[in-house]
Amino acid sequence: MAHGAPCRLDESDDSSVLHLAGEWSMAHLAALDGALAALPRPRGTPKLDGTALAELDTAAALLLSLRLRDAGLDPASVALQGFSASHARVLDLVRGRLDELGAAPPSRHEGFLEHIGRVAAGIGALLAGHVAFLGRAAVALGAVVLRPATLRLKELTVQLEAVCLNAIPVVMLVTALIGVVFAYLLGMQASQYGANIFVVDGVAIGMTRELAPMLVAVIMAGRSGASFTAQLGTMKLTEETDAIRTLGLSPMAVLVVPRLLALMIAMPLLTFLAFVAAIGGAMLVADPMLDISPQTFLDRMRTALALRHPVIGLIKAPVFAVFIAVIGCRMGMEVSRDTRAIGQSTTSTVVQSIVAVILVNALFAVALQELGL
Amino acid sequence: MSDDAPVQPGPLPPREGERSTGPVLEVDGIVTRFGKNTVHDGVSFSLGRGQVVAIIGGSGTGKSVLLREIIGLLRPTAGTVRLLGTDVWSASAAELAQLRTRFGMMFQDGALFSSLTVAENVAAPLLEHARVPPALLDPLVRLRISMAGLPPEAGAKMPSELSGGMRKRAAIARALALEPEVLFLDEPTSGLDPITARAFDGLLRVLCDDLGLTVVVVTHDLDTLLGIVDRVIVLARGKVLADAPVREVMELDDPWVQSYFSVRRMVNREGEVTHGV
Repeated sequence: MAHGAPCRLDESDDSSVLHLAGEWSMAHLAALDGALAALPRPRGTPKLDGTALAELDTAAALLLSLRLRDAGLDPASVALQGFSASHARVLDLVRGRLDELGAAPPSRHEGFLEHIGRVAAGIGALLAGHVAFLGRAAVALGAVVLRPATLRLKELTVQLEAVCLNAIPVVMLVTALIGVVFAYLLGMQASQYGANIFVVDGVAIGMTRELAPMLVAVIMAGRSGASFTAQLGTMKLTEETDAIRTLGLSPMAVLVVPRLLALMIAMPLLTFLAFVAAIGGAMLVADPMLDISPQTFLDRMRTALALRHPVIGLIKAPVFAVFIAVIGCRMGMEVSRDTRAIGQSTTSTVVQSIVAVILVNALFAVALQELGL
Repeated sequence: MSDDAPVQPGPLPPREGERSTGPVLEVDGIVTRFGKNTVHDGVSFSLGRGQVVAIIGGSGTGKSVLLREIIGLLRPTAGTVRLLGTDVWSASAAELAQLRTRFGMMFQDGALFSSLTVAENVAAPLLEHARVPPALLDPLVRLRISMAGLPPEAGAKMPSELSGGMRKRAAIARALALEPEVLFLDEPTSGLDPITARAFDGLLRVLCDDLGLTVVVVTHDLDTLLGIVDRVIVLARGKVLADAPVREVMELDDPWVQSYFSVRRMVNREGEVTHGV
């Protein structure tokens, strides 16, 4: 950087010249701004002298032009002297554009009520869209039922592997651990009343009827629902879904139906495995902690666990599957065309699916209560 | 090396050697292998300041790969890259960070940050690397947007709301944010209609002429080559096949080069299309 001030105002009676010197570049903007601010206000319109300029870039030229304008001068009409051709070009480029830069468009700020209203309307539209999508999925599923030959078996098997087979370890691990914890906590309370054996009732009924289907549904919402959205969203983004449509196929039949069917088949199977794992986990702690041998556990279960409880659990599973698959597929198919949207939609799928599953489960509980089951 | 392209039809005003002199970019003996597949087998060239240089070559000749190696995104198997006097592949992290503020890169589809508006995209490098006085940030961002040929309203838009051509311009605005000395562009006109593409070429020429920028484009676009490029580097069979002004490259006795330019020759004969900008 050249020594001395980057700018100096020479004023005599008949002329005023603003001398620029040294490196007028982006790296020194703050210093340049300070130097310009420290100048006295020119009496007339000064000329610019660039003889001693070592460097002038657009950022510094912009700073100079803006400060000239702030001082009430028209930067475009200021005369130049001693500028090298390249420096003059840079300055001309910037000051010629000063007017078209304009002011920043005012950012629209959304009020609190407006925000609530918009979100509420959005949720309404979302739900309406889900219902419409469910309808279309049902039609597509119906078509497959009427003509089973149109079912895409290969895609269905691929999905079944991803959704069911690959999910077995995590489902069994999670439910077994929950079974352990559940039995342990129940046992702590029950043993105070000498009612150890009722732990079996609690674990067997609670797990098969409520907890296992819910746990599986939550795992599947996070695992499969999210992946449906991400897969279909990416396909939408890369125009694969459009290509499917152009080939005379229906994305509903090719993409959605196999996923929906796979999840509806997988969830009851996984839920059954979850029963086994949860009860196994409970048996594991019942023996050492509550003095309930596996034999006693099974005997008690035979009398305490009516068949309707696991059946209700297994009936709920495919219903949850429909909700998860429909939400997951729809959020993927409706993704807007930018990469950010996929992340948002995937998050939204998981949240919506879990909320939907818990809501549906509550409805089941109320309805079954009324039915006396 | 013929730097000043005497046969170039476009206006080529003499440019002063601004900032420092010496080559901007020296690529020496670059070898790139992916497994058994050799992409580059000793690519060497060097570039001076204030030129628009195009790298061309058939598909799979590693043009984009070379670009990524030059800007420090992909390590070549062997060879050195000196960009603005810094050896890209033996520089320390701090040197590399410093170097990265001195060049701009425009990726093929813009690679704008999709969660930020255009103005925020342009402001991102400024906030990260430059100490711009806060009051100057906003006008500077708007200047960059205007220099890239976008209307002021574009600043408030999200990248997903822009057309392909506008996205590329927004990417140029971001690449220009830090006053780079070199601008790299990967297929800047691909996917644009001819009118937008020619306007884009004009923009590059103006940036090069007015700001003394060195512009390196990887391109397939013959019109870009014939319209604004000072010099062409042809990659073929892992080597630099030619490194000369367009007119000289066109006369080259190489099957690929001949078929590459033959399309244009036919148009010329039939429709008298001229090469000028």
